[in-house]
Amino acid sequence: MKTKVEEINRNIYDIKNKDDYDFKIKKGLTREIIEEISAQKGDPDWMREIRLNALEVYNSLELPTWGPDLSELDMNEIATYVRPKSKLNSSWDDVPEDIKNTFDKLGIPDAEKNSLAGVGAQYDSEVVYHSIKEDLIKQGVIYTDMETAVREYPEIVKSHFMKCVPVNDHKFVALHAAVWSGGSFVYVPKGVKVDIPLQSYFRLNSPESGQFEHTLIIVDEGASLHFIEGCSAPKYNKVNLHAGCVELYVKDNAYLRYSTIENWSKNMLNLNTKKAIVGKNAGMDWVSGSFGSKISMLYPMSILNGEGAKTEFTGISFAGAGQNLDNGFKVVHNAKNTSSVVNAKSISKNGGKCTYRSLVRINENAKNSKCSVSCESLMLDDISISDTIPTADVRTDEVEFSHEAKIGKISDQAIFYLMSRGLSEEDAKAMIVRGFAYPISKEFPVEYAVEMNNLINLELEGAIG
Amino acid sequence: MIKLNETPVRTARNFNINNIKLENIEIPEKFEFFQNANIFIESPKDEVSLCQNDTNLTYGLGEFFTNQVKEKANHFLTVNVNSKMKKLIMIDFEFDKNNLNLVENILINAKEGTKSTIVIKYKAEENLKCFHNGIIKVKAEKNSEINIVFANLLNIESNNFISIENELLDNAKVQWTIIDLGGKNSISNYYSNVLGKSANNELNAIYLGKENQIFDLNYIGELRGEKSNVNFEVQGALKDSSRKHFKGTIDFKRGSKKSKGNENEACMLLSNKARSLSLPMLLCSEEDVEGNHSTSSGKVGDKELFYIMSRGFDEKAAMKLMVRAKFNKILETIQIPELKNEILYEIDKRLD
Amino acid sequence: MENNLLEIKNLYVNAEDKEILKGINLNIKKGEIHVIMGPNGSGKTTTANAILNNPAYRKVSGEILLEGENINNLKTDEIARKGVFMSFQLPEEIPGVSVTNFLKYAKNKVTGEPVKIFKFKEELKKYMEQLNMNPKYMERSLNVGFSGGEKKKNEILQMLVLNPKLAILDETDSGLDVDAIKTVSKGIEMFKNENNAVLIITHNTKILNSLKVDYVHVLVNGQIVTTGTQELASKIEENGYSEFKQ
Repeated sequence: MKTKVEEINRNIYDIKNKDDYDFKIKKGLTREIIEEISAQKGDPDWMREIRLNALEVYNSLELPTWGPDLSELDMNEIATYVRPKSKLNSSWDDVPEDIKNTFDKLGIPDAEKNSLAGVGAQYDSEVVYHSIKEDLIKQGVIYTDMETAVREYPEIVKSHFMKCVPVNDHKFVALHAAVWSGGSFVYVPKGVKVDIPLQSYFRLNSPESGQFEHTLIIVDEGASLHFIEGCSAPKYNKVNLHAGCVELYVKDNAYLRYSTIENWSKNMLNLNTKKAIVGKNAGMDWVSGSFGSKISMLYPMSILNGEGAKTEFTGISFAGAGQNLDNGFKVVHNAKNTSSVVNAKSISKNGGKCTYRSLVRINENAKNSKCSVSCESLMLDDISISDTIPTADVRTDEVEFSHEAKIGKISDQAIFYLMSRGLSEEDAKAMIVRGFAYPISKEFPVEYAVEMNNLINLELEGAIG
Repeated sequence: MIKLNETPVRTARNFNINNIKLENIEIPEKFEFFQNANIFIESPKDEVSLCQNDTNLTYGLGEFFTNQVKEKANHFLTVNVNSKMKKLIMIDFEFDKNNLNLVENILINAKEGTKSTIVIKYKAEENLKCFHNGIIKVKAEKNSEINIVFANLLNIESNNFISIENELLDNAKVQWTIIDLGGKNSISNYYSNVLGKSANNELNAIYLGKENQIFDLNYIGELRGEKSNVNFEVQGALKDSSRKHFKGTIDFKRGSKKSKGNENEACMLLSNKARSLSLPMLLCSEEDVEGNHSTSSGKVGDKELFYIMSRGFDEKAAMKLMVRAKFNKILETIQIPELKNEILYEIDKRLD
Repeated sequence: MENNLLEIKNLYVNAEDKEILKGINLNIKKGEIHVIMGPNGSGKTTTANAILNNPAYRKVSGEILLEGENINNLKTDEIARKGVFMSFQLPEEIPGVSVTNFLKYAKNKVTGEPVKIFKFKEELKKYMEQLNMNPKYMERSLNVGFSGGEKKKNEILQMLVLNPKLAILDETDSGLDVDAIKTVSKGIEMFKNENNAVLIITHNTKILNSLKVDYVHVLVNGQIVTTGTQELASKIEENGYSEFKQ
C-alpha cells in the first residue's frame, strides 16, 4: 500500500495564458511604486493616504515568529499590480478571447447561467467581468467591483474599508492595504434575502506577481446572502503571492454564508485575511475548502459582538507534496448568549503538512456562551505531517467550551471491507476520503460539491496507486 | 521580567500562550543547604545518595531556572531503584523559617525489571514565603515500572518551579501523579521522551487555584518507539481570580507506528473572574497512530448542582463535592492512604 | 467436478505470526449450504478472511480454488468480483458514504455493467422491505450509528444486491434477537438457488433451524475435527464442543 510521489496534471487549472498585460508595475515595494499604483488606479486622495500609511505600517512590522517559514518570499521579486488587457465588462462577449476561454474552462459563465445571482471575475489585478440579476438591482442590492465602489459609494467604503481588519493586524494586511486592487463590494439592504448565491472568481495568470483583491460585504439588518469565492492559478517556478482581505459586516438579525474553494497553484503563498463582525442574533457561517497553494496561512475570524450572535466554521485542508497548509479559525465571543461551532478536517499525503491553528476567546461579558470545536485529521502515509494547535482563552465561568481532536489513518479493516465488495484498493481509499470530506462538501451548492470531489480525486490520483 | 516555559511549537504571539512572562518575582540569591529533607526507604536494596547530577534538559523552564539548579542547588539526590518488589521511597521537603528556599536536583534510575513507588512532597508552614526550583529526571530502563507522586502542597505565598524529564526504554512503565496546589506562581514543565517500544507513560494531574494563583503547565510527550502509549489526564478547578495556562503536547515522531496518545484536560471555573487558557497540541509525523485530545472549560452544571442540593447540601458543600468527584479519578492512582488523606485535607482546606 | 465452487486444500494460515489454521480441507459445491461451527478462537473467522485474502492474515501453505482457479494471491476486490461475498462479523462504519451510493458503486464494480439508477433503487427498496429495514437507511452513512441488528441486516441486503456465487456469513446471527435471526434466515432463503452456495460460520444453532443445511463441519483449534449433517448441529447444541476437544 505504498504511495508514490509525482507531479499530477491539474488539467484545466494549469492552463497558462501568455503573460500579456496592459500594464505591469515593476517588481518591489517602495513609496514610488505605491504612488504609481495609486495613480494608475486613479485613487481619490483619501485612498492614496491609506496606501501610503499602510506601507509604513508594513515596514514597521515583523514577519510572524510562528507557523510556516516565509523566508523565500522576497517582495523585491514580486510585481504587485498587473492590469490585464481588458476593461470591466458586463457581457462575456466583450471579454478578450484568451481571458474568456480561461473562465469558460473553469465553468464560470455556465455556473452563472445555472445557479448564480451574480458573478464577478478578476484576472490578475483587475476585475474583467461583473454582472448581477436585474431583480436584485431593483431590491437595492449592490454587487460591483471594489474600484467602482470607491468611486460611487465613497462614504460607505470610507467607513468600512480596513475598519473590520485593522491595517496593523499583521504584516500582510498592511501589505494588502498598500497595494490592494480588484475584489468585490456587496451591499444587501435591510430585510432583503438573496436566495441564490453571488460568486466572485479570482484568477492569477501573471508569473512573479501578486493578487491583492479586497472583498467588502455589508449585509444589513434582517438581510441574508450566500457569497462564494473561488480562486486558481497556473503553476510557475517562482513564487506568486496572494494577500487578499475580506471584510464582512453582518448586522443585527442578518445572515451571511461565505464559501470558498481555494485552489491556487502550488507555487502560491496564500497569506489571506478574512474577518466578520457579527451583530445581535445574526449568523455568520464559513465554509472552506483549501486544496492549493505552497504555503497557506489563513484563519478566518468571527467577532460575535451582538447578543445571541452565532457562527459556524466548516473547513477542510488537503495538503500534498511540498504543501504547508496552516489553516484554522478564530472566534471572539464578545456578548451574552453567543455560540460558535467549528468542524475542521484535514488530509495529509505525499509529505504534505496540514496544521489546524485556532483561537477561541470567550470574554468576561460573554455570559452563557457556548463553543464546541471538533478537529479530525487523516494521514495517508508516513512521510506527511499533521499538527493541531488550538488555543482557548476562557475568561468567564458561565460558559460551555469543549474541544476535541483526532488524528489517525484509514483503517486497513475498512479498506478490506470495501474491497470485499469489489472495490479496488484505490477506489476504496478514495471512497473513504470522499466520505471523510463529505460533511464539508455537502455544505457547498451541488456544482461546487462536484468540483470539490473532483479536486479530491485529482489529489488522490497522485497519491494512491 | 522573566520569560519562561516555552511551548515546543509556537503559535500567534497575541494568543499569549507561547510562554509565560513573570514580573516582580523575588528570587533569592543565596542558598544554604536545605536541612529538612526527610527520606524514607522501604527496601534495603534501593539506594538514595546525596550527589550532584547533570542538569541538561531537552525542554525545561528556561535557561535561568536550569542554570540556577546547575549552579546553586542546595539539595541533590540520586535514587537507584534495584528492588523487583514494589517498594516505597518517600522524599519530604518541609519548608520552615530556617529552610525557606529549595533548589534541588533529583535523578531517579529505575533499573531494568524493577518496580517502585516514589513520593516527592513539598510542604510549607502557612504565611512563609518560600521558593522552590527543582529538576527531577527519571530514567526508566527496560521492563521497569515506576509510580511517582509529586505533591506540591506549598502555601499560596510561595513560588514553585519544577522541570521534570522522563526517558523510557522498551516496555518501561512510568506513571506520574502530580498534585499542584501551592504557589503564587506554580510553573511546571513535564517532558517524556518515550524512546522504547511498548513503553507506557501516564500522567494524572490535579491543579486547584485560588485568590491570585497562576498555574502554567507545560506537559509534553514525545513518542518515538513502536506500540507505545502516552496518556495525560488533567483535572483542575479555579476559584477567585486564579488562572491557569494548560499547554499539552503529544508528538508522534517518525517511528512511533501503532502508538497511541491521549490527552484530556477539564477545567472547572468556580468564579467569574477565573481565567482558563488552554492549548492542547497534537503533532503527528507518523501514519499508523491514534491520537485524541479534548479539553473543556465551564462551570459546574446547574442540573448536577441542583441534584446534589436537593439532597440537603448547601451550595458551597455541593460545589466542593463536585470538585472532589472530578479529582477523585486522579486521586485513585495514589495507593498510600495517609498520603491521599493528607492531600484531600489540603484540597478541602483550599476549597473553603 | 464442474459443480465444485470452492475447494480448500490443506490450508495453513497465520495471524500476527500465530498459527491459526492448521490444515483445513473443505469442498463446497453449487447448490449447497455448509456450516462451520466451533468454539471461540478455533479459527472460524480466520477461514473467512483467508478466503477473501485479508492482508492481516498470511497463508503459509495450501490452496484455495474457486471454480477450479487458484485464488490464493488474488486481491480481495478481485475475489469479490469473481463472486465471493463475505458478511462481516463487525461491519465497518464508513462516514459520509450513503448505503445507496456505496451499493450502486459496488454493484457496478462487481457486475462490470452500468447500474440503472431507478431500477436499482426499486430493487433496493424491495429487498429492504423484505428484510424489515427502514427505507430511510438508504440515505444514511454506511453502518454509521446502525445498531448491531441493523448492521447485520445491511450485510444481508448487500448480499442480495451483489448476488454472489458464494456467500460467506461470518457470525451474522451473533448478538441478534429471535426476530432478527428469522429475518436473516429469510434473506438467505431468498438468495439461495441451485447455482450458488452459502457458507455459514456460527457458534450457535438457532439460525440453522429454519434452513436446510447440507453439511456441518466442526472446527477446533484450527482443524476440522468432524463433518456431519444437521443432526451434528443439534448434538452440539445439547452437549457443546467438549467431546471434540482433546
